[in-house]
Amino acid sequence: MAVSYQSAERLPLRSPEAVMRLARLGSFHQCRLSFMRTLLRRMKRESWTFDRPVFEIDGKGVGVAVYSAHGPERSYSLICFAHDLPPEQRSDRVIAHAWDSTFTLFDGVPTADDIERLSWNVPKQEAGRVSDREISLSRANRSVRLFKHVVDSLARGDQPDSEQIEAVGYLMRTTAVYGSGKFGAADREAIADRPEFAGPFQPEMLSVYLTRTYTLDLVEHLARARAPQTAVPIDPALRRRFGVGNSTGLGLAPFIVNHPLLLNNWIAAREEALARIRALPRAGAAEADLFRAMLTRARVNAEQWRSEHSLQIQKLIMLKADLAHLEDHVAAGALDAEAPWNRLYEWAEARLSIEGQEQLVSLMLEPYGELVDDLADRMGADEGAAFRIDGAMPLERLQAIVEDVYGWALKTDWSSPDSLARVWYVSEEKLEPRLGERFEEPFEPYEQPLAPGRDAAAMYRDMVAWRGDRTVAAFLLRHPEHRHVARRSQITARFPYAEIRDNTISAALLPIDLLRCKLAFFGATHFDPRSDRWVRINMFQGAPFPHELAGSDADDWSYPPLPEAP
Amino acid sequence: MAFSLNEIEAMGKRAARGAGLSWGLAEEAGKAARWLTARGLPGPEELVDILTRNDGKSYEELVPESVEGVWRARGGRLCPLVSGAALCDRAAEIAAGREIEFGPIARPLLLASYAAGAADLTGTAIELSWAGAVMIFTPEGVSIEGDLAALTARGADSVHCRRAKTAVGVSPLDTPSREVDAETWSRLNAFALRTFAPATEASRLAGAGAGLTDND
Repeated sequence: MAVSYQSAERLPLRSPEAVMRLARLGSFHQCRLSFMRTLLRRMKRESWTFDRPVFEIDGKGVGVAVYSAHGPERSYSLICFAHDLPPEQRSDRVIAHAWDSTFTLFDGVPTADDIERLSWNVPKQEAGRVSDREISLSRANRSVRLFKHVVDSLARGDQPDSEQIEAVGYLMRTTAVYGSGKFGAADREAIADRPEFAGPFQPEMLSVYLTRTYTLDLVEHLARARAPQTAVPIDPALRRRFGVGNSTGLGLAPFIVNHPLLLNNWIAAREEALARIRALPRAGAAEADLFRAMLTRARVNAEQWRSEHSLQIQKLIMLKADLAHLEDHVAAGALDAEAPWNRLYEWAEARLSIEGQEQLVSLMLEPYGELVDDLADRMGADEGAAFRIDGAMPLERLQAIVEDVYGWALKTDWSSPDSLARVWYVSEEKLEPRLGERFEEPFEPYEQPLAPGRDAAAMYRDMVAWRGDRTVAAFLLRHPEHRHVARRSQITARFPYAEIRDNTISAALLPIDLLRCKLAFFGATHFDPRSDRWVRINMFQGAPFPHELAGSDADDWSYPPLPEAP
Repeated sequence: MAFSLNEIEAMGKRAARGAGLSWGLAEEAGKAARWLTARGLPGPEELVDILTRNDGKSYEELVPESVEGVWRARGGRLCPLVSGAALCDRAAEIAAGREIEFGPIARPLLLASYAAGAADLTGTAIELSWAGAVMIFTPEGVSIEGDLAALTARGADSVHCRRAKTAVGVSPLDTPSREVDAETWSRLNAFALRTFAPATEASRLAGAGAGLTDND
């Protein structure tokens, strides 16, 4: 059944000044356009098949396994190396040198020679080399408490305890998933013309999806190896409750600043989806029912969401209150009115926390796949397309752009130490991105260009004082230090969601806001900050496994199932 | 060893920054190395030579003193990374018929990606020429005349950049080799290292902010 689509022209998109604030980006939730969901919808639509051509892992959990995914034109294989890691070496940090398991996504199905070559490199991760036959490189560590509990239970012939599963949610967490030509792998540009990889982070999501199956196969295998007489496999319904964890530090934060076009395209797609739905004159009965069901499931999700971090605990309290408030409002007939979605959104804007507002935006997309799912095709980006500076631009125009995009920064007092408190730098130790205290630590000479607001304000001062020819070309010839932010300004003039409109070096910065924005677009759930700059998440929890994909709904897993009637 | 284009661009950017270029110029220098490599030309080798040659020099010594008439640097040869950016910034003028003449310049091949950028920006064919070498850039690609020795000359006394009179067919290029010799890579890395903060115990603990046990 086609949903009638009314033009969103009369409803403007939410303004970048409102959307591109750190507090809002740091409250994003996964939605229909998230990359895990687009991957699974595609694989279902295209009837991908899966197999496990290699599983040679011993009773101690050491060996190799291969999981292959076969699409309409090409196959990809996750090659998994299983290791015996001493506990003292287990670290989620990028500076770790050994892991419980290491992986590469291979372009095709590997031969024994390929596996042999990779066995000398993949386990070393950053210290090894892969080739353009490999598309991603990643590693994962066990959640020690849950992994042990599950193997112990299965070996005894028992199912693992569902409370313990919910408390952690995954058997292993990935600690880095590298793509895009890292360590010799295939360049993104070399595979971006394949339909299955045109969307952002699709190879990385495929790699994590297959990793999930591997982690479950591994615990069942270990239980069987330990106690062949008594061991049982995991009950399929319980099995679905395992996702793959991910532990993420500051590395993601520079990424979204360094890929302005990509950021714009992600945000713009979601904003366009929201505008389309707000423009609908009424909510059909089926759509309203589906929304109500998803709202209840979102409440269950919030109840299952655990965090020990005080900031996230506060946000969760607000989110739960917001969802209850929203359920009451909807139960009172909010969807029966004219233009119900627009009214609902405006109601939420006035009454809910930002966390609750953004949850609502994601939920409003749920009933309208036919109306919004096409937007997923617009979320890739070729950063090169907007890279070159337009030197012919009159300087007055660049000044006006800065006033528009960086108005907040022109009003910021950059002589205040709090405005400049932080410094982004890269450590020579495995090139780990880090955040330092500008006035307490000696890192300023190594500062990365991740403070566009400050830089734009500095450029603006120099533009005002400039007495030469009134073109960007003439100005930049004598002010090369401003080329970086001049480029960003011109990009943002064309792509309004390309720039974060907040101070990324202030004393009040919470780097986890940047991380959450990106991870929500991945499709992550249960953000659990470990500090202001470190977060754990869950990926693919609830999703059908590869062997279940053909026979189940590929896109009905992002919120937990409805509670069963008593 | 074989490197991906992304690795070459990232290394080029860091090395150029380490050698003292502004971030914006360094970003374009990384693209320049990548552009050449993707077309089978020695991008990293060209880049490391210019960075080595100009190491320690100020921007004022390398920039054209004036962009009227022949472009010349106060301190000897022009730097193609600085002049290239200025060239691309004048893409619209070149497309409209302005001819730019560079006086003595080092590593003219490094101008290529900037001229290609000017062709992309304006949708016109743009020609770059020096002794024994002619390159014509269009939004679709590049045609190259000249042997490798002329193309990779350490310097040229005069380079011309103008709108190409005739659009030419794009000549196919050799299969891109992404092999970079260990010495070139290690020299680039030496520049890049200057942009990385020394590892300290305090930075290791605080800077990434993990802090909690991972054995849970």
